[in-house]
Amino acid sequence: MNQTAQKTDSAPLVDETYYAAVTEAIRAEAARLLVDGSVAAVIGYVAGRRAGTALPAVVTTPERAAELIFSPACRNNLSLYLTKAKQDAVPKGKLAIVVKGCDLRALAGLLGESQVKRENLHIIGIACAGVFAANVDQGLPLNAATIAKKCRECTVRLPAEVDFTAGTLPTLPRLSPVEAEELARLEALTPAERWAFWKELFSRCIRCLACRQVCPFCFCAQCLCDRNRPQTVENSVRPAGNLSWHIVRAMHLAGRCAGCAECERVCPMDIPLNLLNRKMAKELKELYDYEAGLTPQEKGPLTSFKEDDDESFIK
Amino acid sequence: MHTEKQHHTFEPKIAAFVCTWCTYAGADLAGTSRMQYPSNVRVVKFPCTGRIDPVFILRAFQKGADGVLISGCHPGDCHYMAGNFHARRRFAAFRALLDFVGVDLNRIQFSWVSAAEGGKWVEVVTELTERVRGMGPMKEFRELDMEEHWSAQVNTPELQAAYNAIP
Repeated sequence: MNQTAQKTDSAPLVDETYYAAVTEAIRAEAARLLVDGSVAAVIGYVAGRRAGTALPAVVTTPERAAELIFSPACRNNLSLYLTKAKQDAVPKGKLAIVVKGCDLRALAGLLGESQVKRENLHIIGIACAGVFAANVDQGLPLNAATIAKKCRECTVRLPAEVDFTAGTLPTLPRLSPVEAEELARLEALTPAERWAFWKELFSRCIRCLACRQVCPFCFCAQCLCDRNRPQTVENSVRPAGNLSWHIVRAMHLAGRCAGCAECERVCPMDIPLNLLNRKMAKELKELYDYEAGLTPQEKGPLTSFKEDDDESFIK
Repeated sequence: MHTEKQHHTFEPKIAAFVCTWCTYAGADLAGTSRMQYPSNVRVVKFPCTGRIDPVFILRAFQKGADGVLISGCHPGDCHYMAGNFHARRRFAAFRALLDFVGVDLNRIQFSWVSAAEGGKWVEVVTELTERVRGMGPMKEFRELDMEEHWSAQVNTPELQAAYNAIP
């Protein structure tokens, strides 16, 4: 990389006043809701202990509403806390939730799958300029080098149909779609080359299942992959079982995943899991003209059908 | 009717997941009609193609199948009204996923075989068996199954020195 490219890479994408304005708007809205008692809690972000970091938090008192923040470190998809799997983490009753555009798409999926009721939610949307990628120095400003891959080609910066929008969207430079390019590169390879690519990546997997824990759509009371009578996916950490796990994971998310890329962010072994999700989303868009997370839809592409669906692959 | 038995160096294992109402009955018809088809195919009966989870295909490959056949009722003929329509979408998606991961799709065949199509069953099984025979054994999954976890290099000089130091 040459000098000029580095210079443009490290230039901040947005200035601090934007974050201050968003933070202020979230605090005011959260305080208002908690004071008038219309919600039991606000699910948002608070500053982490180390400078520049952020943590998800459930705020239940108006005093603590002043601790809420928004910064590029606010990467978590908070809609996760609305699922049954995390029901002990939040109080009962109406909840307010801070969502970015990508999180809202996951939330729309959850609404569609009847996991949450819209009337029990007060959605605080963020006009989002993007968040950090995994494993970057969170002390730095958000720039072309530290922004997450999903944010480079974000189409939902301004969340639609929310109860309150925090902040106004600054003008942002166009960034190259790194992930789409990688997907195109993989698609152009031969099957044997793709096998080698994924084999290497899946062999790294340590099956910590962080991807499952962080996924808003992995809310099954018992995961198919944990069952051992009959066992469908080998649960010891070996390349064979890892491949099954990742294929099953991608398959179960097909038509549901809206690409918040949390699985990829939390992966300690840096497996590009969102590529699999993107690929499935792309295929389902091409085959059935379905896009997940745009509006709450009761039926996904794999739970509905048309009589004239493509069957060119069937003899 | 009995053709002379050919000897091949490689006999592929084909796992066939079939629905009980159409393809299983079709295979039965092929049998009662005394039609000949390769004995490489192992038929597993399911209530419906809608019952066939994509993970079964993975499991078959992992446990040594060289090819997989999934077969059920023609669209509109499903005993449970819509099982095969759902299966059709599911397998269209699963095929794309397998292709993306790098599995050769020539090893997987989907077909509609009705209870009256004994001849089609013979044709589908024969074609898949011969195609897979030509492709050779399914090495990828078998190799993967043999591999242990640490694909990374663990023979660093330090480790080697420590190993050598073991009395």
